[in-house]
Formats: sequence, structure tokens, C-alpha cells
Amino acid sequence: MDTFINFFNAAVLAGTPLLFGTLGEILTEKSGNLNLGVEGMMFMGALSGLAAVFLLEVGLGVEMSGIMAVLLAIIFAFLAGAFGAFLYSVLVVSLRTQQNVTGLALTIFGIGFGNFFGEFFGRNSPVGFVTISLSARQGFANLNIPLLSDIPILGPMLFNYNILVYLAVALAVGLAFFLNRTRWGLNLRAVGESPATADAASINVTRYKYLATCIGGGICGLGGMYISMVTTSGVWVHNSVQGFGWIAVALVIFATWSPSRAFIGALVFGGFTVMRFYLPLGIPMQIYDKFPYLATILVLIVTSIRQIKEHSPPAHVGVNYFREER
Amino acid sequence: MKRKLILLVVALTILGLLAACGPSPAPAAPAAPAGDAPAPAADAPAGDSGLTFETIRLAFIHVGDAADMGYTYRQHRGTTDMMIHHRIGEDQVRNFFNIAPGGPADTAILEAIEWGADAIFATSFGHGPHMLEAAREFPDVQFFHATGDLALDNNLPNFHNYFGNMSQARYLSGIAAGLRTETNVLGFVAAHPFAEVITGFTAFYKGALSVNPDVTMYVMFMNAWNNPTLESQIAQALIDRGADVIGQHADSPAAQTTAQANGVWSVGYNNNMIPAAPDAVLVSPMFDWSVYLNHAVELLVAGQDVQTDFLAGMNEGMVLLSALNPNTVVDGTAEAIAAAEGDIRAGRNLFVGPIYDNEGNQILADGEEWIERQSAPSWNHIIQGITVIE
Repeated sequence: MDTFINFFNAAVLAGTPLLFGTLGEILTEKSGNLNLGVEGMMFMGALSGLAAVFLLEVGLGVEMSGIMAVLLAIIFAFLAGAFGAFLYSVLVVSLRTQQNVTGLALTIFGIGFGNFFGEFFGRNSPVGFVTISLSARQGFANLNIPLLSDIPILGPMLFNYNILVYLAVALAVGLAFFLNRTRWGLNLRAVGESPATADAASINVTRYKYLATCIGGGICGLGGMYISMVTTSGVWVHNSVQGFGWIAVALVIFATWSPSRAFIGALVFGGFTVMRFYLPLGIPMQIYDKFPYLATILVLIVTSIRQIKEHSPPAHVGVNYFREER
Repeated sequence: MKRKLILLVVALTILGLLAACGPSPAPAAPAAPAGDAPAPAADAPAGDSGLTFETIRLAFIHVGDAADMGYTYRQHRGTTDMMIHHRIGEDQVRNFFNIAPGGPADTAILEAIEWGADAIFATSFGHGPHMLEAAREFPDVQFFHATGDLALDNNLPNFHNYFGNMSQARYLSGIAAGLRTETNVLGFVAAHPFAEVITGFTAFYKGALSVNPDVTMYVMFMNAWNNPTLESQIAQALIDRGADVIGQHADSPAAQTTAQANGVWSVGYNNNMIPAAPDAVLVSPMFDWSVYLNHAVELLVAGQDVQTDFLAGMNEGMVLLSALNPNTVVDGTAEAIAAAEGDIRAGRNLFVGPIYDNEGNQILADGEEWIERQSAPSWNHIIQGITVIE
């Protein structure tokens, strides 16, 4: 039982950055923008969230409290991710550049942005690399919720994570509600399915595309910040995001553009990545690393065979909207 | 009209970005005396080689980036220390970072030769075949490959391997771990299932065993040299299995910070990792690559042959231990380490029988010594007490 609880905990922790990235990309793709820059935006968020706390601590010579560090990291990681997405939106929505190429360019830019500034701040840091104080790290430690955390089995399984895990879950619930239960969500889906129809219904297509892409980028940035603040505990590590953004893009397909299924998908993918450490099967370890991708391929095959409308991508994802071509 | 305006804004933003990037200092070697060294042309000790400290050109090819704060950082630190020591100017050194084995390595080597390198140093195991090929093709250039195992068998006059005897420092760091552990279970985050890695954690475990006969160790492999997420996840899995001191053969400090977050202890690697996890790190075994670089450059300038295969340990200062962390080690650690260090410096072999593997087969008979034939270690057995989880 202990092994199962530990495995579940590790799966949740491994899945959380994926969940952020997936939710951000779902919101983006619902507006009809296929932003392949998730990896880049995660890098930008990872560096900016960490650097904000680091620079303020070094600049003022103080040790920040945990709550302050969490707030600051969330704000700056979100802004950085949103900034990356804003560049993308300007190019794609306003200037109608090709979406895939622009997304790939954003990935390259974001990786360079993160690693360059991480290295630059590290070289000029008193200890030789970018790191934050112990009190600031406390904000990202596992919460110990009175009473709830003490429930046998359920306590350690559900009520013993860091605050960002709960933020990710809340975001998933909020996004599902927004997309399926609100007028704005309906409008956004209309923009992604058929921008011309949405335009005819006097929905401001450009504004929806910009906002959804930028907010989606900000959420991706939070996923990167999770890696730099929780996984590596507030130390900048070169190339720390390393492919999480791409798995998030795959997970969007796995989740068939649904936030609630993204929640399950992130848990499953997270579970796959840590499986070999908890459930040794005696098979070559490289095979474990392929499970998430095999699962994605399976889902792709199954959904394309079954042809269910609600599981298909937004009809106009990847296609730029020209009002004049209506 | 609106479109033009947006275009203009974008163009200005990009210009602004470029301008902001311009004056920021390039990641260059810190504090190296560049142009301020007086050029004593008259008394330059020119050997047969015709090379002098003022003219020699050196190229360095690294698999990673100095920002890893681990392996490549220490390699690059060795370069800068050597440059300061011999007053070698920045324009005499060229660094190639993030060069993967394969095509990029070949390109970097050719670029270095075109630039006029007298000697090329490559620091990752995978660079070996590319360096060997180039050494055959360019007999006038000297090639130096750290951690590799090809030089001795090929025996070219211009191709050399070098390494530090890390087992010595690993063994001593194991003593700190063996004394510290309360659960008597150690965990080890290991990179690839290669002999170099296996030799390292075997020495670490034997060090722990020498002061704590009840200690056992779990090992998990990452199949990567540098992947902070995996390093952290594996450290967590080892802690979940009951390990309370985490060692590592990995490039980043992620395992150290995970140990700290769980309130257990850890042993760093490559670099002094105490700043990354001040409540967890006991000590870190480290390399000082400048010892070899100084040696090689001096021989080159003097026009003498450099050894085909070079190994140095604690006596030469090629490997060392960082200072102990007074907040984490138990009392008596310093004394225990000092005693063992004396033996090691006096020439004690750490791999002496009887040694059994974890299936009960005897690897070394009583009193039999394991002699490495070259600088790259070859010990490949999982010894009794160590469990590899896969």
C-alpha cells in the first residue's frame, strides 16, 4: 500500500507540469491557434518565475517568505509565458504567418531565452548559480493541511502536495467550466470551429484569439515555473524543461481537447514516467520511456477509427482566418 | 493602415530586443588576463615545438555548457585556471559548448583546426571516436580526450587520454554517508550503466561499508548524463524506498535539492553543491582538471611528448573533496576521512578481494587486487550489498 501511495504521489508530481502545459495548449487550440511553442513558453516561465524571486532577493539582500515567493513566481512566470504567446499572436493572428513555423520559432526563442538568462544570472550570482533562499523554497514545499492530511491513505494521497498541484487542478476545473458552461467559452469554441461563422455572429475573432493564446501561454509558463521551483527546488538547471512542452502537445491530443480528460491524461503520463522506479517489471528501462508515446499513438488510432465529433480537434485549428476570404 | 502600424511596432520591438541583447557580456572566461600581460618576446622559452605560452592555441570541446554547475562547469573552470596560471590570453583559447557526439563533434574539430589550434581537448566520452579519426588525419595537431579509453590501444603520437582517479574521492565521501545514515540504506542516482559510473558508486559504497558494516545501497539508472527532472524523480523514488543519504553520478544538483526537500542527506558530485542544498549535502567529490591541463600545456611548450594515457588522483590534486558541511556531517567524520585519506595517498588500492557480486559469485579472491590497465576505469560488477532497480 505504501508503495502504491508513493507511486501515486510521484505520478501526480510528474504530471503537474504536463497538466499546466496541456491546459494552456487546449485553451490556445480552442481559439484555432496551434501554438507549438509550448516548450519555449515553459522555458520562459521557468526562468522568469525563478529569476524574479532570485533577483529580488539578491537585489534587496533579503530572504523572501514562502507565500511572497509563490505569488511572485506565479505572476512573473505567467507574464513571461503570456509574452511569448503575445509575440506568437502578433505574428500569427495579425500578420498571418504560418502557425507551425511560428510555433517552432517560439520554441527555439524560448529555450534560448531561458538558458541564456539562466546562465547569465548564474555567472553573476554570489554562489555561482541561480538559487533562492530556504524560506522562499518553503512556499513550494508540500502542504500539511490540518486534519485532512492525517486521514489514513486518503490524506497522503490527496492532501499532501505543494500548492501548485492544487492550482493546476483548480485551473483544470475552471477551464472545463469556462469552455462548457459560459457564453465566452461558447464564443471561443465557435472561433476555433469556424471563425467566419463567429465573425458573422459579431464575435470579435481577433480579440478571442489574442486573449486565449496569451492566457494559454501564461498557463504554459506556470508549468515551466513548476519545474524550476518544485522539481529542481529553486535552482536554475541548464535545459531543465527538456521536452515537457512536447509531451504536453501530445497530451492535448491524448486528452482530445478536453480539460477534464487532460487531468486524467496528465496523471497517466506522469505515472508512466515514474513507473519504472516504483513498479520494476524487469524489462529494459528504455521501454518504459516509450509508454507515453505508445499511449498517444493508440489514442490517435482509436479516436480516428471511432470518428466521434466531440473528440476531434477544433475544425480550424492551424488555419489562419482572413475575413476577406469569407 | 492598421496592419502597417502593427508591422512597425513589431519591427521596433525586435530592434529593441536586439539592442538589449547587444551590450550584455558574452559568456567568456572570467578574470583571465587578456591583453594586459607584458609580452616578453625576447626571453620566451621556445622549445623544439616552436610553441610558447604567448602563441599556443588551444581548443576545448564540451558536451554540455558551463551553466550545468557540475561536470562541464568544472572542466571549464580547469581551463580558466590554466589560462591564469600560464598567462594565456583569451584570444588563444576557443571553447565549443554543447557539442554532441557525431556530426557536431566532427564539425567542431575541423573548425578548431581551421582556426589554428595546436591542441584540441575534448571532454566527453562520446567524443572519442571523432577525436581518434581526426588525430589520424591531422598528425601535426595534438588531441587530448578526457574520460576516454581509445588512446592506449591505438598508440598514436598525437592522441592522448586523461582522467582523474575519482574512486578515491568517492570512497572518502562514502565514509561521510556511511556515518550519517540512520536507516542504513543509501541511494544512488546513476547516469548510464557504464563502467565509469559503476566504478564510482562501488567506491562510494565501499567507503560507506568501511565505517558501517550494516549499510546497503539502492541504485537506479537514468540513461542520461544530465536530466534534472529524472534526477529528482529517481532521488524521490530512492527516498521512498527508505534511503536517507543520496549519492549521484549526474551533472546537475537536482538530486541534492530533492534530498533537502525530504529532510534527508546527500553527497554531491563534480562541484561543491552545498549552496544548492545547505541542509542536505554532506560533502562533494570534485575534479580539478587544471592539474592535467597545466601539465599537458607545459610539456607541449617544452616540446616533449605527453603520456598516451594519464591518470592522477588525490596526491596530484586532480581529484579532491570539497570542504565538509559542518551542519550536516556527524561528529568524527573529518577524523575518519582523514585516516582513510592517509592510506589512499600512501597508495592503497580500494578494489582488493575478497569481493563478491550481488549474485554471490566471487570476483576477487582474498587479497587479490584489481589493477586498471588504463585511466578509464573498467570495474563492471555490482557488488554484494548493492541492489540495482530496473
